[in-house]
Amino acid sequence: MERSIIKCLDNISEVASVRGCLLADEQGLCLGVRGGISPQSSGVITALSQQAGLLEPHSTKHPVVILENDFRQCYIHGNGKVVTAIQKTAAS
Amino acid sequence: MLNLERIPDQVGYLLLTEDGAVISSGGEMENDERIANVIYGLISLADKVDSTIQEEGYKRISVVYDDHCYVICLSNKKIHVVKRKFLQNHTEPAVA
Repeated sequence: MERSIIKCLDNISEVASVRGCLLADEQGLCLGVRGGISPQSSGVITALSQQAGLLEPHSTKHPVVILENDFRQCYIHGNGKVVTAIQKTAAS
Repeated sequence: MLNLERIPDQVGYLLLTEDGAVISSGGEMENDERIANVIYGLISLADKVDSTIQEEGYKRISVVYDDHCYVICLSNKKIHVVKRKFLQNHTEPAVA
């Protein structure tokens, strides 16, 4: 299991515009991190994903939360078991 | 009256005070206090993310589903929320 998590993190962080990525479980425990994201943020990231799911609690699909400023974008997606956060530089 | 109503593809909007009270609403989100509370919670959490992964802060929060999205911005000490449907031929709406 650990090997697949490491492989997944490596694959994501290889993409040119990605600055950092984080995987957390549904309770906010950090499973792994690469790049500029702090492992301490895994709890807040999981909470954000769960809070966004409350917008449409009857929807079978999990939403993607995007936090944006002029320079960076942070994509957060939870599938009920694992929450993924990817921080990217904004497309120019 | 509100410019939010003129946004292309919008199907609902909310205008909230900084502490989460509804100032005005329309479309699919008319008088939807539940959504207002969820969005206020989302912003409170995003404030905490700021300090841990993004020191510059955020301008906009989007919650994206397959065929629609919620776009949240803070401007003029008010929280603006718009629900937009995606056009059939586009994967996401044009940035306003």
